[in-house]
Amino acid sequence: MGLDADGAGAHPAAAAVTGLAGPDLVSGARLARTVRQAENAGLTFVSFTDALLPAVPGSPASARLESVTRAAFVSRTTSAIGLVPQVPTTYPEPFHVAAQLASLDIAAGGRAGWIAAVTRDAATADAYGRPVVGDLAREARDVVRVVRDLWDSWEDDAVIRDVTTGRYIDRDRVHHVDFEGESFSVKGPLITPRPPQGQLVVLAADGDVPPLLDGAEPLVDVTLVGGAGVGAASGNAEAARERSPRAGVDIEVVLDAGGRTGADRLAVLDGSTPAGVRSPWDTRALRHVGSAAGLVALLTELATPGPDSRRPVDGVRLLPAVLDVDLPVLARDVLPALRAARLVAAPRPGATLRESLGLPRPANRYDTRVLADAPSA
Amino acid sequence: MTDLTPTDFPVTRPDAQVHFGVFFQGVNHTTVWSDPDSGSQTDFATFERVIRTAERGLFDAFFLGEGLRLRESRGALHDLDVVGRPDAITQLAALAAITTHIGLVATQNTTYNDPADLARRLQSLDVLSGGRAAWNVVTTDNDWTGANFRRGGYLDHALRYDRAQGQLDIARQIWDAFPDTGGSDAFSGVVAHVAEHSALFDVELDPTTPRSPQGHPVIFQAGDSPQGRDFAAANADVIFSRHGAVLADALEFAADVRRRTVAAGRPDDDVKIFPGTGIIVGDTPADAEERARWVRWNQVTPATALSIVGNIWGEDLSGYDPDGPLPAHDPVVEELGGERGSATTGARTREIAAQWRALAEAEHLSIRELVVRNSSERGFQGTPAAVAEDLIRWVRTGAVDGFNISPWIVPSGLDDIVEKVVPELQERGAYPTSYTGTTLRGHLGLRAPLTRRAATVGAA
Repeated sequence: MGLDADGAGAHPAAAAVTGLAGPDLVSGARLARTVRQAENAGLTFVSFTDALLPAVPGSPASARLESVTRAAFVSRTTSAIGLVPQVPTTYPEPFHVAAQLASLDIAAGGRAGWIAAVTRDAATADAYGRPVVGDLAREARDVVRVVRDLWDSWEDDAVIRDVTTGRYIDRDRVHHVDFEGESFSVKGPLITPRPPQGQLVVLAADGDVPPLLDGAEPLVDVTLVGGAGVGAASGNAEAARERSPRAGVDIEVVLDAGGRTGADRLAVLDGSTPAGVRSPWDTRALRHVGSAAGLVALLTELATPGPDSRRPVDGVRLLPAVLDVDLPVLARDVLPALRAARLVAAPRPGATLRESLGLPRPANRYDTRVLADAPSA
Repeated sequence: MTDLTPTDFPVTRPDAQVHFGVFFQGVNHTTVWSDPDSGSQTDFATFERVIRTAERGLFDAFFLGEGLRLRESRGALHDLDVVGRPDAITQLAALAAITTHIGLVATQNTTYNDPADLARRLQSLDVLSGGRAAWNVVTTDNDWTGANFRRGGYLDHALRYDRAQGQLDIARQIWDAFPDTGGSDAFSGVVAHVAEHSALFDVELDPTTPRSPQGHPVIFQAGDSPQGRDFAAANADVIFSRHGAVLADALEFAADVRRRTVAAGRPDDDVKIFPGTGIIVGDTPADAEERARWVRWNQVTPATALSIVGNIWGEDLSGYDPDGPLPAHDPVVEELGGERGSATTGARTREIAAQWRALAEAEHLSIRELVVRNSSERGFQGTPAAVAEDLIRWVRTGAVDGFNISPWIVPSGLDDIVEKVVPELQERGAYPTSYTGTTLRGHLGLRAPLTRRAATVGAA
């Protein structure tokens, strides 16, 4: 069970109703406090939604810091919760993305993930001074592929420190990746050794990162699906599990709080949404507007195995309308009820995000011992 | 460290204080990894110990290097030195959360970074750290590094500083975009649109990163060529210089930098000079000498000695005896270049070889002795008191403003400096006894960022 911890909340008017803008909205103290609350509440991970450009151009209430930097900052103020920045595949350099995320995983002791996202906004191409990427899916596929190659470019035991021969690394265990994509190539190896998890957990919205053409390996570990209702979301998750080991549902949440109903709060938020906002509140996700008990019931339904004894979904990511309002209710009234019913468990301090999600640590694609042991096709 | 007496160089700044930074190199042959005291070069705990020691010692800055492709020798990865390091900004963001005062310097390349992206990441670090970030601006131009990036080797060598200048100009626009609300309503004002349309850039964006307490990240620059010095004089707050071994040379460099700084329209003390250096202390001069000798011989392992000479000769000399003489024949290549990713690529091999051979013959040196000899004049050594006196002389003659220390062993290499040298400096009134500010700009005594001075001058 994850939570998006971006800014003042997931609703475009969250900053306005919270009264936060500029440096106050993005301060390290506020960020560390929010993520600590999420960790104390027992959430599995927090995500950091991001984009290079603001939701409302020119508005100080659209202040936002880069997501990997934010996640790294809280890597040492937390010990159990997963840290999952959203980083686009469309325009950034895949080599930098691979090194930044590997470094985050090292600092976080193996608690890092990556939401690989595509950028549809043409204005972002202008910010990079590059032509608009037409084939977003192909670019996403090639970037995730090469980032995964780069994470494996150092074998786990590449550093040998052999005093007798004076060799620090075994150069046979550090590999050029020689990736040739359609729009770019990358030589490798990465400047950063293999991250603690081997491969970070890769999440992506349904449809953003297509599978490899040869289907050799799933590029995405966790697909995030939406859906107008439980049935639609479960169906989407079921379909997504054919392409990725796990599927979770994004749920927008506006809870009853402070004597006001979720519906009242949402009306105020929608009425406060700034003019010219680039992205109105997501319409793809499942949405819960109402009581904490109602959310517990919804999550229970999503977690209850069907006739085939499979859970409809593997997990959820909550998108709280306003963090300062909805997170305390989640911590007080939602997570304890789910834990009591043994539907969720708080991550163990020191556990990797893969361990918390029940995903195995992958073998290294360049490890010749693995290749030698593998049954020949 | 010089052969000259103190009186040869007049004290021009009798109250100047010594400043320290620590350069966590990550990739080099000067970090001794073979010693039992040497820890992991990758684990976060190693970086944590170094930066905590530096902050205990009231250092101004913790400095991370960068290299965007692993070094190779004649097509094979260089395997003798410490290698493999984290992305600098990511690592510094993690370190920012566990420190309170020390500056955080990220080396970042202008050739293979996009200005909108890089300026945002640097400013993110600056905001999260409360105004402690700095950018060490470096260039690279070869297609060998470019092979890791979308654009490949796109940039003409002659244009690398033009690219750096444009990158910095765009970054400053981004850092200045948020309104300076001065504590009033944070919702007031409009974030400026940034646009740069020039020969090298075609960039337009609306920034998202608000101002930090120090205004802009501090700008470091390390280029030593005339072009690099001019770039620093026009743009940098701090020069990370190579002139940290011989005082006369450092004074000459400082005079040159001040001349260029004034020519760039800035006050002559506007650019601070921090040479990279090493410090080795012992309880007695003989003890320090013995320790320095140990360090040199452990930095230059037999394999490293053969690799360094092999790089000059342009061939694999690993079959040679490191305790024997240099190859009898001349280098097989005209220019250095066999080792890719090294700062010395492009130098004239035969001139270097002739110098090395002359020295080896005059002093009867083996290959390894020769390499040790050639790397033995870097930095300061002696008792803590003697080293302190040396450092104070360097600062008070105006040669430098501080020192960027590379520990020869990680993570314990700063312990002696913090526990023994810093107290000697403090006793002499030449080192602070506590941090007095919270930003890196404050620690270094810097003026406002270059783009924000007009208002200050107008108000004065």
